[in-house]
Amino acid sequence: MNKEAPLSITERDFILNALRENVRLDGRESDQLRPLSISFGQEYGHVKVKLGKTSLIVRISSEVTKPRDDRPFDGIFTIALELTAMGSPAWDNGRQGDLETYVTNVLDRVVRHSNALDTESLCILKGVSCWSVRADVHITDYDGNLIDAACAGIMAGLQHFRRPDAVVKDGQVIVYGVDERVPVALNITHKPLSITFHTFDEGNRVILDATRKEEQAAEADVIIGMNNAGDVCFLSKFSGSPVDAMVFVTKSTVAQEKVKEINGVIDKALQADLAKRAKGGMLEESRAENDR
Amino acid sequence: MVGPTTSLTPLSRADGSASYQCPATGANILGSVNAPIELPGRRDALKPEDATVEVFIKPGTAPGGVGERYVEGIIKSMLGRLVLGREKSYARRGIVVTLAIVGGESKPRGDSYLTVLPALLQTSLLALLSASVPLSMTFSATVLGVNTLGEIIREPAPTDAAAATSLHVLAFSSKGHLLLNESRGSFDFDTWERIRQRALTICHGTLSGSPDGDVAMVEDVDGQPLEGVVRETVEDKYHQDYAWKIDAA
Repeated sequence: MNKEAPLSITERDFILNALRENVRLDGRESDQLRPLSISFGQEYGHVKVKLGKTSLIVRISSEVTKPRDDRPFDGIFTIALELTAMGSPAWDNGRQGDLETYVTNVLDRVVRHSNALDTESLCILKGVSCWSVRADVHITDYDGNLIDAACAGIMAGLQHFRRPDAVVKDGQVIVYGVDERVPVALNITHKPLSITFHTFDEGNRVILDATRKEEQAAEADVIIGMNNAGDVCFLSKFSGSPVDAMVFVTKSTVAQEKVKEINGVIDKALQADLAKRAKGGMLEESRAENDR
Repeated sequence: MVGPTTSLTPLSRADGSASYQCPATGANILGSVNAPIELPGRRDALKPEDATVEVFIKPGTAPGGVGERYVEGIIKSMLGRLVLGREKSYARRGIVVTLAIVGGESKPRGDSYLTVLPALLQTSLLALLSASVPLSMTFSATVLGVNTLGEIIREPAPTDAAAATSLHVLAFSSKGHLLLNESRGSFDFDTWERIRQRALTICHGTLSGSPDGDVAMVEDVDGQPLEGVVRETVEDKYHQDYAWKIDAA
């Protein structure tokens, strides 16, 4: 179970033959993203991502916990993604499928293991208390390319999120409410994003941002995780038929371009939201520096 | 009193979906319904002529736990009585209701679900309507808190709910019958009766029933009755979807 209904042979052939003539079902170029929109909700760290027909909601939350015994200086960061029947009727509630494990693993690798969020900055008191930051991904509509959409959502959420301020006084940890002190932004070291490609026709055709149908018709997928500076932090060729090594070389340039494009969209959305909050909120009054 | 914000069928993959936001409690729920679908491995269903209702609640910022399973049980047993599971093509099939808490303040760990329960119920009803699942009736639900002074607070905010001596969730059918009553805290029967009266006016307005059992809804201090919100949401959706037809006529 937990699998989408397979494509019919004719549908598969149609997609493939169209691609041989450089035509995609939705009329995009092979290296073109679907329209991406990112918006923020009321609370900090509440992000809505729409990539074509794929849409999801990311919520970032934080709480104070005890750090792990083997890493007393580190805070905790977890990414929780659960596929529910909301995203697609093919997914069963409360049952883990292959896709869920795969997507969670990639997101973990791209965002968490590349140290996008500096976990050391989440430490409050060594070995006693630290922040535990949690990113919950709710998939509301699934139409392919879950990984890139979720990755963009998590990164946008981390940049948008503000945690309550906490100080240590005489060995006591005091957490100030959001209305008592200006909440603190998380420490982001770099902004990695994943870019997924799918190959067709014995590796001759490579397309970016496949829809659900294209994903089902594809032979293999290649995922490149990269940040704005062009540092590759993740590279995967998980399953399917072999892919020529040159694909990785040529497509990393494309990936770099797309990472910049998506980061641009995120930055723009963040700026717009910040401006909106500044109007109604206490941001101006609570600022420490003055305009000189 | 500002009424809730609702929308019907915001999602494209699920058979039916609805979003519901209650401004007072701050709860923002997204619900989806898939029905009728094959449920794998459930050939030996307990009731072979009936549909199985499954409810899944996904908390916004925490892993699901015992609290979610408990509320799922409450919603499931209530919806199970409403859904006409013996209709054509529904027997032995599943009706999967998925509710995600996508906004609002995250409740403290281990806290009860009473404050969001009415929002969850309303969302599931709207989602069922959106999926056109046959129902025997519609309903509306609300939560009321009683503070230390004995005053009744409608849809208390998280801080009010924490300070309340008792919390009550009541659901009424479209005909005004009590469908669900969940309470927490200490209260006496007189208080409960007052709560019931108030909840009935919130859900149905000041009742003026006619002999044929029809109920007319009137607005008062509590704003638009909740039963009217459900009707209006569906009406609005119909007006939108059939705009081409209405314009042509």
